[in-house]
Formats: sequence, C-alpha cells, structure tokens
Amino acid sequence: MGSNVKSNEIPLQKNTLWTSLRTTLQKGPAPAPRRNAASVQPSIFSTLMRPNVPNPKDFIPLYCDCMSKACSRTQEYLLFKDPEDKFHPSPEVLTQIFLMTYISQSIHLNMTDSFNCTVMTPQQRILLGADWVWAILDKPTKNPRIQIAVQVLHMANGEGVVENYPRESGTESLQMAQRESSNKTVCERMVDFCASVGKECYALFLFLGRRNDAGNIYGVLSNNFQAAIGKCDNIDRDLIENFFKGSKYLHTPTGMLQSIISKRDQEALTLLIKFS
Amino acid sequence: MAATQDAKGKGEGGDQNFDYMFKLLIIGNSSVGKTSFLFRYADDAFTSAFVSTVGIDFKVKTVYKNEKRIKLQIWDTAGQERYRTITTAYYRGAMGFILMYDITNEESFGAVQDWATQIKTYSWDNAQVVLAGNKCDMEEERVVSVDSGRLLAEQLGFEFFETSAKDNVNVKQTFERLVDLICDKMSESLDTDPAVTTGAATAKLSDSAPPLQQQGCNC
Repeated sequence: MGSNVKSNEIPLQKNTLWTSLRTTLQKGPAPAPRRNAASVQPSIFSTLMRPNVPNPKDFIPLYCDCMSKACSRTQEYLLFKDPEDKFHPSPEVLTQIFLMTYISQSIHLNMTDSFNCTVMTPQQRILLGADWVWAILDKPTKNPRIQIAVQVLHMANGEGVVENYPRESGTESLQMAQRESSNKTVCERMVDFCASVGKECYALFLFLGRRNDAGNIYGVLSNNFQAAIGKCDNIDRDLIENFFKGSKYLHTPTGMLQSIISKRDQEALTLLIKFS
Repeated sequence: MAATQDAKGKGEGGDQNFDYMFKLLIIGNSSVGKTSFLFRYADDAFTSAFVSTVGIDFKVKTVYKNEKRIKLQIWDTAGQERYRTITTAYYRGAMGFILMYDITNEESFGAVQDWATQIKTYSWDNAQVVLAGNKCDMEEERVVSVDSGRLLAEQLGFEFFETSAKDNVNVKQTFERLVDLICDKMSESLDTDPAVTTGAATAKLSDSAPPLQQQGCNC
C-alpha cells in the first residue's frame, strides 16, 4: 500500500489542524547561514538540528480523517432506501466502498509510511478471517509494531446477519482454503491469527450497522478474545455483539488508537468504538 | 511420501482432475522475494512494489509430468518473526520447500541454517528442499557469491539455484526440480516400503507415510 503522493500535493483544507500539519511537513531544517557565496559546506550547527521526523502519533488525526470519510461514504449506502425495495448493495460491495474510500484518503494524506493497510487476498480472508490488516509501522524499518486485523460484519436485509465470504468462493483456491480451515468459524480464525502473533495484534470486528442501529458503524476491538475460547461454545457474531450490552462508554477512533499506543506490554485491552 | 491422490485419479474440490497434489512451501527471511517468486511462477507477473505478506497465503498451479496431472498447492509464508507460530503450523504435511535468501542480503543468507532447522523441526523427514538465492539480476549489489550458496546447499543436502523473479531466471526450473525430487522420493519410498501401497482409499496430506493406492509415482 505504498504511496507516492507527496505532502505538498495535499490540497488546501479548511481544517487548521491539517493546515498546520501540512506546514510542519513541508518545512525542512532551517538552512545554515552562509558566510559567503563561495562557502558550500553547511554549518556544523545544522547537523545538530532535529531532522524533520514526524511525531509517531501524527498518524492519529490522519487515521481519523480517513475513517470519517470511509464511514460517511458507507453510511450513504447503509441508509439508502430504495422506494421500490429492489436495490440492495451486497455486503461485499459495502466492504469495498468502505475500504476503497479509506485507502484513497490514506494515500491522499500520505500516511502509509507510518500507518498502512494491507488488504487480504480472498484466500487469506478465509484462512486468517481478516478482510484487511492495519499496522502502525516502526521507523525506519517500517516493520509493524502494532497490528489491527479487521473483519467486517454486516446486516442483511431485514436486519438479519450475513456471512462475509468472498464472492468468488466457488473457485478452486477458495474451496481449498475453506477445507484448510473448516473446523472454525471465521471469527475464531481471526482471533486465532491475532493470538498467534501476540498481544500487539488486535482483532477488530467492524459492524456496518448493528441490530438496533443499522445506519451506524461500530467496532469491538480486543487483543484478548482468545480468553473466550473454552469459556464459550464458539466465538461468533452474537458473542461479539453482546459486548455492547450494558456498555456505557464508546470510544472514538482517536481514543481507540491512543489506548492502543499507551497500553503496557502484554496488557489485555478490549474496547467498544463508535466510528460514525 | 505424503500426497493427496484419489484412487481413480480424481481429486476433491473445484477442479477435480488431477493425479497428485503436492503441498509446497516457500520460506526465508522477510523481503527476499518469496511472494514475487510465486507470482512469477503462478501468474508470470512481477511488480517491484514491496508489500509484506501477512501470515500466510497460497496459490495453486497445475503441472504435467509423464502424462500425470500434478496440482501444486504453493504456500507463501511471511518471513517476519512475529508470524512464526502461524507459518510453522503449515509446515506439517508439506512435501517440498523452497528455502530462499537474497544474494544482496548477507543476513538472509546467514539465516538459511536456522530455516533448515525449522524444516527439520516442524516438517517430516522426507520433505525435499531446494535452496534458492534470489535477486540474481542485482549483480552489482551481490554480497553472497554463487560458490557460497552452492557450498551451503551441499552441506545441507539441498539442491541449489540462483534465481530472479524480476528477470524470470530459474523460477520454473526451481519448481520443476522440486517436483522431480518429490516424485523420485515417492518412487523410492514405494520401492523400499511396499506397505505404503496398501493404505486407505483416499490419501490425505499428512506428515506420515502416504497411503497411496496405485502402484507408484509414475510422474
């Protein structure tokens, strides 16, 4: 998900935060004072200046902007009512609209060097249970420091629940993938995947509409879902949606990322988030 | 030798006409070019954009050998340490490995011995291995000589190729050689252990000797 968009290509935005961020990004180290025209060596003091390294938390407002756009766009389709009740966007299409909007905006904001998004192949979606994986990257290695594996959960018409399998599930590769992982639910596969990576890999179940609120986008995030294995019959949508029952507090996307970043090693963290 | 084979020459799943199915894995350090290597072989495509593999993925390619149709299920593994638990779980039942390093990256070459140990630990004894020194198109940045690669392969008992997914050098040959080695090993196993011809009706990928129904591997 690399990006070639340069920061100076970001169009002007009304939000002053973006403007200030953009200005900061555009500013390079102040040039060393030149004593005379013949001197081409930079001042020794210029090497002491802080390089133009962005703050590791800079991606948080950028991420929130991407999510805001992706959620708004997806909500247009979630809330659409066809007067003739003939047109219903499929779950697959809703996921694609969300993800394409997110990716477009993340490239536009040039944030993929610090926070990237890897979309899973159809086989990976079955094997690992994730639709995509967000990663907070270490600099300069760009290795993931923290990951969030995301699985989208949809409402069907009439507020029923639908499975979220790739459309091309009839192909040979996908049948093989399903055979490889047939003894677990798709939710359990993602929980297993995250648990195998460790506490710095979170599972986020992203609800594009919930039973009593079909038009909004929520999430349940945890690095500790595997604790439910053994205690519950299986990990499925019902179990995950139960987290909302009795909950008094919903995090914002900003709060979610701040909680993840400030968490201590090996600490369990579970959050409910309202994205839209 | 573990193999998936239906007694009538019909396999399970979508495209059911195959005589054998071989499970292969590509392993090695992160960014040595495993995914590019698989894309070149399966799709004849290459992109220089680097996207780190998350966990594990696979592609399927069918090859023909001595009029036998062999389905290759080729697993592309993530090289990063954080995925080691999930990737080693897929070693089980693998019949062949392509162990890859990058000729421009000394560290990836130094890690070959560790990867070989991983194969011994998590796979079964008869798994065949080809060592591949990838990115041989980048001669100017080479830090691992051909001789070093060949010597290490000899020491480990592996076949050896230098390859380039970018320029399509020795990609097909690496897979073909691995398939040959697996077929040879299957024939050898059947010759020395007739018990393997009297197994169950349908062989599944397993990490034990395969219960093949037919007389031997004619591939």
